[in-house]
Amino acid sequence: MTEIYLRLVDRILTPILLLIAIFLFLRGHDLPGGGFIAGLVAAAAIELTILALGSAATRDRYGPWLAPLLGIGLMVAVTAALIGMAGGGFFLGRWIQFEVAGETLKLGTPQLFDLGVMLVVVGMAVTYLLRLSEAAETPPPSTKHRETRP
Amino acid sequence: MTPHPTVLILPVALPLFLGAFSLLFQSMAPDRRVALQRILAGLGLFANMAVAGFLLFWVLQRGPQAFQLGLWPAPFGITVYLDTLTALMLAMVGLLSLLIYPFALETIDPERARLGFFPMLLFLLMGANGAFITGDLFNLYVFYEVLLMASFVLLTLGGTPSQINGGIRYVVLNLMGSMMLLLGAGITYGTLGTLNMAHIAVRMAEAPYTVQAVIAGLLLVAFGAKAAAFPAFFWLPSSYHTPHPVVTALFSGVLTKVGVYSLFRVFPLFFPTLLATWQPLLLTVAGLTMVIGVLGAFAQPTIRRLLSFHIISQIGYMLMGLGVALSPSTYGVGFGLALAILFLIHNQLVKTALLLGGGAVELEMGTGKLSELGGLVHSRPLQATLFLVAAFALAGFPPTSGFIGKLGLLEVTFAAGQWPIAAVSVFVSLLTTMSMIRLWQSIFWGKPRLSPPPGVRAPGRALWTTTPSAILVALSLAIGVAAQPMLTLVQTAASQAIDRAGYVRTVNPELTEQDRSLPLGIQSQRSEKAGG
Repeated sequence: MTEIYLRLVDRILTPILLLIAIFLFLRGHDLPGGGFIAGLVAAAAIELTILALGSAATRDRYGPWLAPLLGIGLMVAVTAALIGMAGGGFFLGRWIQFEVAGETLKLGTPQLFDLGVMLVVVGMAVTYLLRLSEAAETPPPSTKHRETRP
Repeated sequence: MTPHPTVLILPVALPLFLGAFSLLFQSMAPDRRVALQRILAGLGLFANMAVAGFLLFWVLQRGPQAFQLGLWPAPFGITVYLDTLTALMLAMVGLLSLLIYPFALETIDPERARLGFFPMLLFLLMGANGAFITGDLFNLYVFYEVLLMASFVLLTLGGTPSQINGGIRYVVLNLMGSMMLLLGAGITYGTLGTLNMAHIAVRMAEAPYTVQAVIAGLLLVAFGAKAAAFPAFFWLPSSYHTPHPVVTALFSGVLTKVGVYSLFRVFPLFFPTLLATWQPLLLTVAGLTMVIGVLGAFAQPTIRRLLSFHIISQIGYMLMGLGVALSPSTYGVGFGLALAILFLIHNQLVKTALLLGGGAVELEMGTGKLSELGGLVHSRPLQATLFLVAAFALAGFPPTSGFIGKLGLLEVTFAAGQWPIAAVSVFVSLLTTMSMIRLWQSIFWGKPRLSPPPGVRAPGRALWTTTPSAILVALSLAIGVAAQPMLTLVQTAASQAIDRAGYVRTVNPELTEQDRSLPLGIQSQRSEKAGG
């Protein structure tokens, strides 16, 4: 088991970071932010879990989703582009509006595309991070061999 | 019936969609996942070939076509542009990737298939198609990156030390090329204020010589590095012999050729005057590429190392065609470019055939070392014949496509008065012949020195591995025997590629009438002349 303070930080910070990621994602519609940066923040949150609980536990938690996430993200992005075809152009922006508690909300294909980007980034970054920490956790097998070299 | 212009995006969207779709099954059992990915890749390659064939047919009927992504008018949106040259390249790459598919199905090992060989094939296709069809300089850079990443994965798939070694050289040197391209695109945007290729073509004519020269130089270095031209060719021979043979065969038909295509596209469009003033530079690069490639080939100990040096050498001929692209000849301006395109197509056919043949030998005998092979003509007469014909096509003997290409190129260089480069190219052809005969002899002639390792040659395998190269060789012979239809085709392609006004008109007719002035701080050539 790792240090208790890391686990504590993970408990507190990971949900907050994931919320920040969602905030950045939504803000990116017309302000600085967006899917790429939100994906990186979400990956940082998951990296915290890797540090606190180890890669095996993290893989148990997210594993089944992680491998196909890249494909899902790409599919979402392509779908956003394909929706534009309904209006006559690949990647044509399409929006829907609806009222929630007196506020008008707009959802559109740019956001859907951004969601795809975010999923791809999370999938890629977390896969890298998991592989890296797995490599760090297993001792290098060839240490002895290297020492005997002249 | 006129199809909706959105079909122009299909060469990119289709492989992307199917590639992404085949990544969805990552948590499935490996066997079932690979089976699914094989089917999806086959479907994708077949559909892509159908789309490319249709686009070629369409563009021959209706002339060049353009489409704006998201319907944003040029120069604000990303433009997709299709003319005969683009359609030809799409069809060629579609054909090659379709033909290597059965070879890959038969020979790729389960480990590499499990690691994602088949989805990566689709992503590679997407990158190449995108680089062909885009009409936006920055977008071109993006597709080069897609191509680079997909090819890097294919190159290192399997992860043997030699692959990692070759892969690192490949990716580092190619990233430098990409940086040059990005720098060129950045300077273009900074000086001309646009990245749309049609708009660049309009404004580049107004730009002062320094701006033109800097951008042309950067693009020449970038695309030259991608095409493995002298002096930035080192990445190719140090990486092409390391992956699975089918990957090498595919790369030889796709990767370097995308760089050559970009040169063919960008130079006549942006810098028609520089093609004349820089002719000595282009021809020098072409000559050095030819000579160094072919001399390097003499020192190589294995099939694929030898053939990868010949890839470089042949790139020199295409650059020679670019050098005389706009030189006047008896067949009109642009005949040089037409022959360069013909030579490019010929080379894609023949080189892939050679690498597939050599790859099949390497897989079956368990080694590609020339000193250990020999005498295979007794056990594989068909393979030996195909390899011999392809070798002579590469050297430029009649009645193959290589003869037509080289003869035509010689005629244009003579007409342009460029005797030295013509002499060099003839000399290099001679050396190529020697080298190829030596290669054929050491693989197929003499006494069998090595018995194939047991269990490698499964019954029925030869059908899958030989048919693709047979089709490629047959196509090369067909072009050589009945040259006229192909010549007409490439002449159409070249005349459209050098037609700058037509390009601009197709993309957006308003561009020429709009304000042609450059952004503040850049003095236009006209005012420069007026002032001086």
